[in-house]
Amino acid sequence: MKAEKKLNNNFIFFLCLCSCLFLQASKIHAQEVKSKAELTLSFSEDKDTKTITAFAIDEEGVPIEELDIYFYVKRTFSLLPFGDRFNTTDENGEVSVVFPNDLPGDTAGKVTIVVKIMESDIYDDLTMEIDKNWGLMTEADKADEERSLWAAAANAPLTLVFTTSTMILVTWVIYWYIIVILFKISKIKP
Amino acid sequence: MKNPIAKAQTYKSKKEEDLLKHMVSTSKSYKIWVAFLLIVILFGIYAYYRQIRYGLIVTAMRDYTSWGIYISNFVFYVAISLVGSLFSCILKLNKNKWADPLARISEIIAVAAIACATVIIIVDMGRPERLVYVFKYLRIQSPIIWDVIIINTYLSISLLLLYVSLLPDIALCRDRLTEIPKWKKRMYRFWSINWVNHPKQFSMLKKASRILALLVLPIAFAIHTITSWLFATTWRPGWDSTNLGPYFVSGAFMAGAGVIIVAMYIIRKQLKLHDYITNAHFDNMGKLLVLLSLVYLYFNINEYLGPSFKMVGVEGEHINELFIGKYAPMYWFVQLGGLVIPILLMFFKMFRKPLPIFIISLFVVIGAWLKRYLIVIPSLQHPYLPIQDVDESYLHYVPTWEEWAITCASFASMLFIITILIKLFPVIPVNEKDTQTEPGTN
Repeated sequence: MKAEKKLNNNFIFFLCLCSCLFLQASKIHAQEVKSKAELTLSFSEDKDTKTITAFAIDEEGVPIEELDIYFYVKRTFSLLPFGDRFNTTDENGEVSVVFPNDLPGDTAGKVTIVVKIMESDIYDDLTMEIDKNWGLMTEADKADEERSLWAAAANAPLTLVFTTSTMILVTWVIYWYIIVILFKISKIKP
Repeated sequence: MKNPIAKAQTYKSKKEEDLLKHMVSTSKSYKIWVAFLLIVILFGIYAYYRQIRYGLIVTAMRDYTSWGIYISNFVFYVAISLVGSLFSCILKLNKNKWADPLARISEIIAVAAIACATVIIIVDMGRPERLVYVFKYLRIQSPIIWDVIIINTYLSISLLLLYVSLLPDIALCRDRLTEIPKWKKRMYRFWSINWVNHPKQFSMLKKASRILALLVLPIAFAIHTITSWLFATTWRPGWDSTNLGPYFVSGAFMAGAGVIIVAMYIIRKQLKLHDYITNAHFDNMGKLLVLLSLVYLYFNINEYLGPSFKMVGVEGEHINELFIGKYAPMYWFVQLGGLVIPILLMFFKMFRKPLPIFIISLFVVIGAWLKRYLIVIPSLQHPYLPIQDVDESYLHYVPTWEEWAITCASFASMLFIITILIKLFPVIPVNEKDTQTEPGTN
């Protein structure tokens, strides 16, 4: 009787364990499946201010409220964030940030703006890139293209290339001349 | 007891017998010496295998001391290789006839040293298989590229100089050494390029020898000046100096002369060449070494007086480290034991006799190697732009056993090359009169 009770207890424990494992697995699965969000960007500018507005909707076209959107400008080695620390959509699914006026762009002032949804519990990560002429126009740095000691191999100073090449050429021509003399020596018959 | 094989050759004079006999008989001590060198080289190869296998982490080189003992060796080898130009150009063109018997030794040492310099610089590379990129993406603005070019140029001229001076003697070996193994006969026949002692051949060889003698000096100056520029163009205390080029060149000539005296003494003793390398040679080499040491002393004073007078910032720390810091014993040994005291002693004739000057030259050579260590290491430990919260291991440099094993192997390789060349070819020109002065026959 005692043994039968113990067996029942073990069976109940086993069922509980299986149920827990099943619930846990369902929870993990539920966490992994996220919805897709869509972003629409609109740009506006007046005399002093340039503004980007992001409009987020879900798969059914319903505006997403309280979604963090991240705004960046692409720089040489990494992304430079702008806007507030957290830029969260309102009840209309919109968030606006002001674009800084002092960021250098290329020679035409072009900059690449990157907008992201990242690490949301509900929505997949999303990245959008768009080029705008909102940066400051910069002069192209042509130092690397000019012939100098610090330039790439192809842009070595001509005087250096000419001098070193001449020295190397003269020396090795003389070596070959010595080898020619040795060759002539070998051809002399007694 | 005379060696029967040595007697079996067809010598035509006592001079030929004296200068060629060591090439046909091998003593037990010679075999032991070669075996010893090979063991050291093999051990070095094992250490290098470990360096390739695990990377440069097996060395003590870190972010601060990124050039360690290998670069010290490299500078030392380049320095002593300059001795070839000292004899083949400076002494020869100035008609110092007394130095003619020593020219061959200097040329052999030059070839061995520059060959080892070429190898040790590759050993210093963490990824030696990328050496080809140096040539593929050659950037002529870089002093390292100038060094790569000039090392190959100097190695080539050193080989040419040795070969041109050897040519009549190789033919002599071909003709006189009849009782030798076939491979040796073939080798002498091949390298003697049909030399038949024709007056025209002598005349052409003399012309080639003159051209090389004129050419070797600027190349020799260039190789060590460019080596100094590797340091002078890097912004570190102790290297930021316009004095570095002549300082390196003068030090190289001094070290080279010291090495020649050491080699002369050992070769004379081992090959019993007392009639050909005389006390007068040692006396003259002593005087030459004094002169070269005085020039080097002058550049040393220039090198250290300015910074030690000003003691500015990191430069001052570097000077303190050398003068009274952890490198002080080595620094003062080098300056006093390897430079000042040898100069003072060699002023006296009694110290220019073979044994005393051999011992003095040993100190000069050891001092010369330690000097290269002092040029490379302490400077690197005092960067102008230190790293914040630097790892403790960056602040000190003590070579690991792998570095010492490779260093010893490189020295053994140099001695091995010299030993083999001396065994295969006459160490003193046998028909020097013919090649150096006027055409004739032997």
